[in-house]
Order: sequence, then structure tokens, then C-alpha cells
Amino acid sequence: MHETVVQRPARRSSTSFTTGDFVSDSEMVLSSNPAVRRPQEFKAARPGRPNPSELPVAISIADFNAYYGDFQALHQINIRIPQNHVTAFIGPSGCGKSTLLRWINRMNDIIPTAQSSGSIRLGETEVLSKSTDVVGLRRHIGIVFQKPNPFPKSIYDNVAFGPRLHFKASSSQLDQLVEWSLRKAALWDEVKDRLHKSALGLSGGQQQRLCIARAIAVGPKILLMDEPCSALDPASTARVEDLIFELSEQYSIVIVTHNMQQASRCSDSTVFFYEGRVVEHGPTIQVFTRPTHKQTEDYVTGKFG
Amino acid sequence: MAISNTLNRTRSVGSRKSFDRGFQIICLLVASLAIVILVMLVTAILFKGGGWLSWGFLVNSHRENLPEQSGVGQAIIGSLVVCLICGLAAMPIGIATAVFLEEYQPLSRLGRLLHGFIQLNVSNLAGVPSIVYGILGVTAFVYMFGWFGQIQANKPPPVEMGASYFYQTKTLGKKWVQFPASDRTKQVFVIESSLSAFNESGQPIELNVIDRSATAPTEPELRDRTVYAGATASILATKRPWYFHLPFSKSVLSAGLTLALVILPIVIIAAQEAIRAVPSSLREAAYGLGANKWQVVSTTVLPSALPGIMTGAILAMSRAIGEAAPLLAVMGGVISTTNSLGNLMDKSPVLPVTIYRWAQDENPAFENLAAAAIIVLLVFLLLMNSIAILVRNRAERKYA
Repeated sequence: MHETVVQRPARRSSTSFTTGDFVSDSEMVLSSNPAVRRPQEFKAARPGRPNPSELPVAISIADFNAYYGDFQALHQINIRIPQNHVTAFIGPSGCGKSTLLRWINRMNDIIPTAQSSGSIRLGETEVLSKSTDVVGLRRHIGIVFQKPNPFPKSIYDNVAFGPRLHFKASSSQLDQLVEWSLRKAALWDEVKDRLHKSALGLSGGQQQRLCIARAIAVGPKILLMDEPCSALDPASTARVEDLIFELSEQYSIVIVTHNMQQASRCSDSTVFFYEGRVVEHGPTIQVFTRPTHKQTEDYVTGKFG
Repeated sequence: MAISNTLNRTRSVGSRKSFDRGFQIICLLVASLAIVILVMLVTAILFKGGGWLSWGFLVNSHRENLPEQSGVGQAIIGSLVVCLICGLAAMPIGIATAVFLEEYQPLSRLGRLLHGFIQLNVSNLAGVPSIVYGILGVTAFVYMFGWFGQIQANKPPPVEMGASYFYQTKTLGKKWVQFPASDRTKQVFVIESSLSAFNESGQPIELNVIDRSATAPTEPELRDRTVYAGATASILATKRPWYFHLPFSKSVLSAGLTLALVILPIVIIAAQEAIRAVPSSLREAAYGLGANKWQVVSTTVLPSALPGIMTGAILAMSRAIGEAAPLLAVMGGVISTTNSLGNLMDKSPVLPVTIYRWAQDENPAFENLAAAAIIVLLVFLLLMNSIAILVRNRAERKYA
């Protein structure tokens, strides 16, 4: 696992990123025809990445249906999300990928009309069961949203928010935890001198990494990311993608994205949704280069969506 | 051909332009009317009352037929106390209601019905005339629906705390002595036998009771603590600042609570709007980290909404401080009291009622005093509105 990180191309290094590097990067990713894509663009194709089918299962979704009022948003979803692995949900707008993501940690509980049937299992826990402790569940399944949404508090208080809810930590323990989380989110060096300044003073990309730090500070096993880069500029996007790649060593990550290049760059497996159904699910390189369905091919090559 | 005829008959550009200009002038005139009236009002008040403003006016209280020595001292304190009670009562209830209406939208059919019903009532209550709240205040706070019995003249209220009752009598040496009252409802106590009491300097003494036929003692120390048997002592109450009784009767507490009812719908609506303005992304962030509803509300929603809530509450209180009608109903037209405000059960004059009383006083000089009191009231209103603007601006800077 660790070697994988070492083998990453230099342009992926989160410490020595420059805009100049990015230009070549974007030129490459803009060629969206999978036939043109070289295999080494896909992490899954690099040596050292484990085969998804060999990994233990983090979340298993079976016969899952979701509704908003009378509208059925998802039909009979069956997916197994492996541990310590990046799974991307792709598909056109309104295909239900965000809905599924939000059901995994019951964020849809806030929406009165949202209903579901079927099963989402996290280990031995049935997520959808009424008796499931949602507060504890969300501690184990962190979520990062589309738009960076730091609280209007200091950087420190943002990261300490979750731990303060869940743990009885002394202030020195809290300090350690905040530093650990910010280091994990590759933000520590940028903010260590202004921990007690407002988080709203950070740039969009920094804010999103702060949100990731905030999510991992409560010690989740799974990270859900709902289009985490769609509100970011390309340079910030690249840094967050690097981070996702690094975090996948320790966390099972599910990322919803509209950006096919992003899915191809930073995911191991890809699930393609269309009109509330799973059309294709497989290793990212296979979904992008040898899709088995016509719809998938049309979507990943940009013919629709 | 017909169409081209129509298209050729253009209106003159000049008449259209002059109509546009005329309309602009009419709008300007109508708009200035309001300003003219306001300027006239303020000028008239300043002209009438300006000369009466002095330090003495601000600290003295009303003196019958002595306009030169009258002032709004008691009324200012009364208004501030009533306004404070009103704010302290209306804000927690208003904020809690707004949190319920905005954050705790129930899922069950019955719950949704109740929720909608409360929302509808809040909106309707905002338009109810304040005198109606005055009548409600009389029933609910002054008499408390008669649940605790009625307060009668020369009788202590049915339920009270913070008061101690003494009987007081004069000795042969013309000195006052006091002793605790065993029965607070008895106005007069007849002294038959000796008992322990306190003299004027608070020292404990043994009250010496002698028969009416006996000769009075001559040494002063004994005379100072001697009464004839059958002497009467009258009841006296000392009230602590936290003195409190039920029902509230005509008091500043009743007045403050009644004003709280008047502004409650305004506070609720302002708080609802402030809570609605908190971005839902913040709520989602807190929920996503495993916060429960109360934690989301207390750590995320309320801190962000607080400046908006405070602004609304201060503006509502500035409406409360100018209300006369409900206070006339609840406290009566009090214009001065012999003692200064000692506890929440006292009555007190307030600025609007003072203005009302002075404006209709037979002595025309009091009309000028009313104008001076209006200036004081306007200054208070301006101060409160400025504080509201300040709070909002500070909050905008903080969360920008």
C-alpha cells in the first residue's frame, strides 16, 4: 500500500504542486476518449493496488430503493463497497448517486419526504434500522459536502467541533487531535500559525480540506464525499484529489462526482448510475476503458450527461 | 394598409416626456409630505418642550400643580424596568417558539397540524391591537383568573414571599417599638402581656406591660419600653427587593409581562427569519459530524442567528417602550408614587402614561412638560434603534 504512494508521479506530490504542472495535467485529462488514455493514469492499474474483490467489505447495499414522496429515486441497488478503497459514483444529474450517498449515513433523515426500503449494512449494523443510533453512525461514517461549509468559528473550533460532541477530551488531547486531523488533511503547515483565526478567511480549497479534517477528527472508518471538488478551482481540486488518494490507505472512501476525469484519477472502483439504477460497477480502469454497457461508454466518453 | 396607418400615428414625444416628468413631480410631492409632517411634528415638540429640559426634569417626579418642579425621573426608571421585564420574558419564549417552528418540524399528521396552527396564530397575533393585550394582561396577570383569590384593601395578598410583618406601637416614653407579627392578616394587635420586641435602634428589649390603673414608671429607660395593657399595635410590612405575590396585581411585573405579550409575535417572526437565514449547509455540516438536533441548534443555528434575533428583539422592545394603552389597562394611569420602585410588585409611572396624563392636565404648563417627556422618549427610541443597527453591523462584519 505504502509503495503505491511512493510510486505516484511527481506531479501528484501535494507539497510541490505548481500551476505549471497542472497545465500538463489538465491537457491530459481533457482527452476524455478512453481509447487515448494511457493505463498509468488509473491508480487501479498501478502495481500494488489491491484487487477490490479480495478486500473485505465495508458497506454492503442490498435491494435498496429510495423515494422522495411518490418519486422513486433509486431502484434495487446492490453494491458492495470494499474497505480502504476509493469507490466513485458517477452518472448524470438526478441519477440518484447523491441520494444513495446521503442514505449511507442517514443524512436524508432531515428530509421529511425521504423514504427507503432494502438494506445498507455497515459490518453487523443495519444502517436503515429505526433502532440504529444515528449519532454514533455518523461518527463512523463521515461526510464532506459539495460546497465547503466551515462553521463561522475559528479553524481550531471547526476541527474540534465533532470531538467535543463525542469525546471527553482534555484540552491537550484535543490539541493533539486537531493537529493530527489537520496534518492528515494536509492543511497543518498552512494554518498552524492561525489556528484561532476565523475559518472563513481560508481559500475555498483550504476550507474544503478543513472540512475533511473536521470529518476525520471524530475517527470515522468511512468517508463519504459528495462532489467535494465541484466548487473548487483546478489547483485546489488537485490537492483534494491527492488527499483522497492518501486517505484511502486508512479510510474507505465513497466519492460522488460529475467529473469523469476525477473519477478516473482518484478512484479504484467506479459505479455508473443512470435513472436510479446501477448500470455498471467495476474497477475504474475497466469502466472507463472497456465498459460493458453502451450507456456507460456514451457517458464516460462525453456523448451525454 | 390599416396597420401601416396605425404605426404612422405616433404620439408626440414631447407630451410623453412631460407626462413622465409630471408623474415624477407628483411622486416627489407625496413622498415629501411624510417628511414635512415629521419635521413639523419634531419642530413643534422641540419648540414646546425644549425649554423645559433640564437635569431636574430628568430626576424629579411629578408634583401636582408644580410644573417647574415636576419631572420624569420615576417614569424613566419605570419605563426601563418594564422594558427590561418585557425583554427578559419575551426573548426566551420567542426564541424557543421560533426554534420549534423552524427546526422541529414534526413528521406526524397531528404534529404538522399543531405546527401550522401555531404558525398561523403567531402571524395573526402580530396584528392584534395592543389594548386587547392590555385586557388580557389584566385578566391573566393582574387577577390571574382569580385562581389565587383577590387582593383586598388592608389585607395581605393570598400568596406572597419576601415580606416580613411587624406590629408597631408607641411606648409611654414616646418611642416606637416593633415586634414580629404572628398573624399577617390581623391589622391591629392588642397588647395584653409582656413580650420581646425591638426598639427604634433595633436592640432587643423586653416590652413591659402595666395595668391602666397602675402608676407609670418614671425612669426613662423603663418608660421607653412600657405600654399600658390593652394598647394597640398596628401592622407594618417590610418588603425585600425580591418581594413577590400572587396574583401580581397592578404592578410593574404585570405591565412588563403584558408588554411581552404585545411584542412576542414580533420577536418570534424576527427570530424565525434570522434562523431561516442560517445556511442549511451549516446544519448539514453539524448533522454530518453526529450532532443531535439540540446540538445543531445550540452550537450552530443559534450562534449564527443570534445577531438577527437580537436586532429584532431590540426593535420590538423599542415598540414596547412607547406603548401606553396596555399599561393604562394594567397599571392604571399612575403618574407618581410616594416611594421609589422597591420591588416588582410596586406600581410605577412610565413615560407614555406620564405623557398622556400631562397632555390632559388642567394646568396648561404641563402640556409643555408632555412635549419635553416626548423628547426624552424619542431619545430612548433612537438609542435603542442605534443599538440594533450596531449589533447587526458588528455581526455582518464577523460572519462576512
